[in-house]
Amino acid sequence: MATTTATITLSSTDLLSDELALTTTSTLTQTGTATGIEHTTGLAMKTITSTAKGTASGQVVLYTADDFAAIPYLYVKNLATTAGHKIFIYDDTTSGDPLQFQLDAGDFGFIPMHGDKTYAAYASNNPTKMEFMVLGKDQ
Amino acid sequence: MATTTAAVTLSSDLLSDAMSVTASTTCMKAGTSADGLDQLEYAVVEIATGDEYDLVCTTPTAAKASKLFVKNHSIDETYYVAITQNAQAIGRLYGGDWMFIPADFHDAAADIAITSNGGTNKIEYALFHEGTVLTTT
Repeated sequence: MATTTATITLSSTDLLSDELALTTTSTLTQTGTATGIEHTTGLAMKTITSTAKGTASGQVVLYTADDFAAIPYLYVKNLATTAGHKIFIYDDTTSGDPLQFQLDAGDFGFIPMHGDKTYAAYASNNPTKMEFMVLGKDQ
Repeated sequence: MATTTAAVTLSSDLLSDAMSVTASTTCMKAGTSADGLDQLEYAVVEIATGDEYDLVCTTPTAAKASKLFVKNHSIDETYYVAITQNAQAIGRLYGGDWMFIPADFHDAAADIAITSNGGTNKIEYALFHEGTVLTTT
């Protein structure tokens, strides 16, 4: 069985009176079990060319609803280097395409998703590069 | 200006070659690379089964940056908290799982709520932000 871990470190020496040094690791498992996840889409890098959501072309689909069994884990990073060049990730399944996350240049996110919604991205600037990966159990 | 960094490492032996994906970011205010997020809400709470709790209560202000870290400290892997944003499901954190999401929570329709399932879940969360409208007593 494969072992997959996700570690985050949040640190600051001047935000609080004392140093902030928060590190935590999660072993990624199949829902409700101690069995490790088995599949990944692999790391992808794509260029977003759309500056709007909905029917416009040029958006990037990060994940298609029900592609993986719950819970798939989404890693995403905005590869832009200019501040203000944002990526907007929205729920393309729900009516109205509600906005979920906003990643400014250099930002990353790690989200254990429900798995039953399609996620797509558009950007404030054309083009904007991003990288992403889904980990979980394919179905 | 405070400097706060967030770094993630994803490691696995799922593939033929070892996978190690790393990323790091300095948490900045919206649209700038010169001014870091300088406000923080950091807490640990226990939430009983079925209870819904507003993790982030938003107030409408100009667009600003926020970074939210949430971890479920439950040791039972069947326990979980459901995370919603403006009543839309965005994820579930089972025992031991964590999430880190950059977003703009400074909008009346962008509040984050969590609902406990399976049993009492102990949740740790940190919201790095650049200000909100405080409630007058």
